[in-house]
Amino acid sequence: MRNFRSLDTIIQNVAQMDLTIGTVIGRTNKVASLSMADHRITAIHQAGGPFVDAVDQTRMPIVFSDPTLPGNPIVYANDAFLRMTGYDREEVLGQSYHFMMGSGTDPAARMQIEEAFHAEHLNDYPEVRYHHKDGSPFWAVMFISPVRDEKGEVSLHFASFLDITRRKQDDERQRFLLDELDHRVKNTLTIVQSIAAQTLRGPQATEEVRSRFEGRLLALSRVHNLLVRSKWAGAGLRELIGHILEPFGVDDQRGRFRVEGDDVQLSAQAASTLAILFHELATNAAKHGALSEEKHGQVEITSKIVPTPSGDRLSLRWQERGGPPVDPPKHKGFGSRLIEHGLAPTLEGEVRLHYAREGVSCEVDMPAPREVV
Amino acid sequence: MGSCELRDRRILLVEDEMMVAWLIADMLGDLGCEVVGPAGHVDRALTMIATEIIDAAVLDLNLGGVRSYPIADALTARGIPFVFATGYGEDSVLDRYRLWPVLPKPVERAKLQCVLSAMILDIGQVN
Repeated sequence: MRNFRSLDTIIQNVAQMDLTIGTVIGRTNKVASLSMADHRITAIHQAGGPFVDAVDQTRMPIVFSDPTLPGNPIVYANDAFLRMTGYDREEVLGQSYHFMMGSGTDPAARMQIEEAFHAEHLNDYPEVRYHHKDGSPFWAVMFISPVRDEKGEVSLHFASFLDITRRKQDDERQRFLLDELDHRVKNTLTIVQSIAAQTLRGPQATEEVRSRFEGRLLALSRVHNLLVRSKWAGAGLRELIGHILEPFGVDDQRGRFRVEGDDVQLSAQAASTLAILFHELATNAAKHGALSEEKHGQVEITSKIVPTPSGDRLSLRWQERGGPPVDPPKHKGFGSRLIEHGLAPTLEGEVRLHYAREGVSCEVDMPAPREVV
Repeated sequence: MGSCELRDRRILLVEDEMMVAWLIADMLGDLGCEVVGPAGHVDRALTMIATEIIDAAVLDLNLGGVRSYPIADALTARGIPFVFATGYGEDSVLDRYRLWPVLPKPVERAKLQCVLSAMILDIGQVN
């Protein structure tokens, strides 16, 4: 049943043959390697069988290269590969994998290809910008597998390609649209900022009202920026805290913040909601609590993943210390209403605000995001 | 509320969106600056640069689809510092203009003040 020998066996045999012929011909120059490549193809075809036919006729572009020769030249290319690249077989054989890259390919891609050849197991295959013979660019992902001979030495590389030009174009377009959307959102927010500033300019509104409004708008914009970076996939908790509390000096030398505990990857919605929460808490702390000017208070933010029978929970705590003694507010403003009643439903959890004498605290209990940073 | 280094400084404002121009002009006024402009397009801004006394400039990056780089070049030629104001990310500024600061939109007053003060103080040191 010669026809049903595995491709591996065929290739190994061919490799073996080559080894013999290689020794005879010598491997000193390109002419030798080209003639050997010719021989190799003939040998593969002579060995024949359904696997060889499959490789020949599949629509997936495939090449073999010989890593035992200088430059790891291509020794076989199927018709699909020639169709993909626009080259003739004679132009391809004897070339290295880089010949199609041309200018405009970044050196990192070259490195990635080199690595791919030497790695045993790969998760990320290189996506490379190649050029057709006519100079037009195309993108392909390259899957590389070593083929070993009986001694376990790599005697051939098997590389198949997937043309991903269409996907790359879609990615590009999507990125463009997201950029444009981002810009428009920012523009609209700026116009809202302006309308509010004009409206609140008169004597009927205080500076306090204006700056509260502007603070909220800017917090919204900050979380927007963060989410744009991840294409709205979400944001890390630490990253979010860093962004939202930056105007309150989360990273500055005064050390008024202590942020501790598990970092988690939040959904876009949870990130937006927690951004509002942190902003309101910090604004309040800056005006009345531990972050107010004259006191040297501190805010401690702790996060913890808590396993429960019904799944992991994320437990977040905001604790103020060292500020002026706290009196529970006589009437609740927008901030505390938002914190206590507005946020819990979006977080599918609970938010509790405590006005203890020694410092305001806020506890959030919500389902833990699946992905832990 | 303005800081002393910004008092009476003449700041060119280039911004094509009227509402946004008002916003930034008011902010500059609050900082004690004198606003030159606002100019809504490249030609008008270039005329102002040629004819007015300007200490620094706030430059919208995108003027109705046209990038404001020619204005940036004219300012650079005259040794006038400027900040790009933009709703696009910082990456949106061409590489060779990356040395100039970027003021994100919506605009934070504190950041505007900080950036302008730093630029004005820088010129003070050079002179």
